[in-house]
Amino acid sequence: MHPLWSNIFRKNPAEESLGAFLGTVPVFCEANKKDLVLLETLVHVRHYRSQEIIFEEGDPGSGMFIIRSGRVLIFDRQPDHNEQELALLGPGDFFGETTLTAAIPRIASARTLETTELVSFFRSDLQEIAQKKPMSANRILLGLAKVVSERLIAVSRELRMAKTTLERISSSSAQTE
Amino acid sequence: MAENNHRRNITQKQFLLLFLIFTLSLATGLTLFSSISTITAWARAATGGLFLPILLSLILAFLLEPMVSFFEGENVPRTVSILVIFLLLAGLLALLAVWLIPHLQTTFLSLKADFPRYLARGMEFVNEFQANLQNRFPFVEHYQISTKIRTFSESLFAEILLQTPKSALRLGSLLVLVPIFSFFFLRDGRRMVRTCLNLVPNRYFELAHDLYFTVSYQLANFIRGRILEALIIGIVVTLGLSLTDIRYPLLLGIFAGITNLIPYIGPIIGMVPGFLIAFVDLGMGGQFWWIVILYLLIAQILLDGFILIPILISKFADLHPLWVIIAIIMGGKLYGVVGMIIGVPIASIIKITIIEIRHYRSSFQLPDVPLENPRLM
Repeated sequence: MHPLWSNIFRKNPAEESLGAFLGTVPVFCEANKKDLVLLETLVHVRHYRSQEIIFEEGDPGSGMFIIRSGRVLIFDRQPDHNEQELALLGPGDFFGETTLTAAIPRIASARTLETTELVSFFRSDLQEIAQKKPMSANRILLGLAKVVSERLIAVSRELRMAKTTLERISSSSAQTE
Repeated sequence: MAENNHRRNITQKQFLLLFLIFTLSLATGLTLFSSISTITAWARAATGGLFLPILLSLILAFLLEPMVSFFEGENVPRTVSILVIFLLLAGLLALLAVWLIPHLQTTFLSLKADFPRYLARGMEFVNEFQANLQNRFPFVEHYQISTKIRTFSESLFAEILLQTPKSALRLGSLLVLVPIFSFFFLRDGRRMVRTCLNLVPNRYFELAHDLYFTVSYQLANFIRGRILEALIIGIVVTLGLSLTDIRYPLLLGIFAGITNLIPYIGPIIGMVPGFLIAFVDLGMGGQFWWIVILYLLIAQILLDGFILIPILISKFADLHPLWVIIAIIMGGKLYGVVGMIIGVPIASIIKITIIEIRHYRSSFQLPDVPLENPRLM
């Protein structure tokens, strides 16, 4: 069939609706269908070219970004201007969610690696629905809290492991001395 | 010689070419200039009547937004809640009109008769003052303040009288346009703002989004605060004046409320007619002093200075008196009496915007909406 006609009658799987896409993001796991419709009116869909800076370390952080398509590099700028890669994120991943509740500067920089479509959700919009639609805001905040606490658990586990490794190394070096 | 001639020939050709280029560019420039000035003139003519309705409907939208949000919070669709509020408001206005219009008509007629009397007494007072001044300071040249004031206020009043029926037509168009505009501002304002914000380049999008939120939050508070302040002052002055035998308490209260929108100078202007009418009709008795106390002490110092301004208006909105005067003059030049009244609030709005942007850049702290001051709602 001619591609023009096929496109009209068949939905491209990549072109699934924004609400359905948002439903797959862990932060919005608690949200119901109505919340997702509301979220569709709150988020902004932004298109980035390849190698475009999304934000720099120290920028005012005001919300989270969800990758709909493309890849994003999270990196740390070293004092000698080298970039240290922290994470490589793909479709469905999200970043910057800590700034959704607290006004803190960005702790790392983010840059696109290819043509990327990002969905951004900002603190000011969350604050607005917290007042207008408290129930929906509650569900979103609960999902956010889940994500953040999962990360906290992972980080503390890693920290504990690092501590024990450090202790083992220091004790073994003390034994050799 | 031939060489010379040759050179001259070329210069002639060049001269011709240069001449043509100059003429052409001049003609193009003139055409461009005239077409641009025609376009700006067109644009100005086309948008001239839109400024006031858009401004008023924006203010109305800011005022009604909390109510719409309240209904929306109760799970009423936004369009329906806006319509409900508009219907309620229309009913209220209709009732007010039925009650007020006969009253206003008689007031208007009697004021037409009374105004020359008040003006004459006011002039007498000014003349006395001037004579007194010249007695004490003979070097003050004989200067006809009174005739100047008289001609000015007579022409002003005549204009008001003349303009009122004329402006009734404009008022009619405002009555149609403002509800329509504010309805759409209320219903689609978010979408309009989102469309505009989406035009911002990626790198500045976050910043623009946050700045818009901060500034609009402060502006909404400022506009609501100012209108509420004017309303309360107007009501208090009207009630206070109703206790005395003064004529036109309602009109004087409305005047005091409206002029109260202008800081420093407005309240003083708002007092003058009250004092004048009290002085002419009631004399320098106890009632006159009660009116002075009402205007100065109760309305301005106690209510406005100690209660309303600290509660309703944030410190951000404070303008230096010099800026107030400049804003009044510039507003007056642009839009006449209306411009004088709205010039200062617009100057405050510009100041709030600048300060919020600076504040955001230094701390990027968004205002805490969930802990919003319930008094402003």
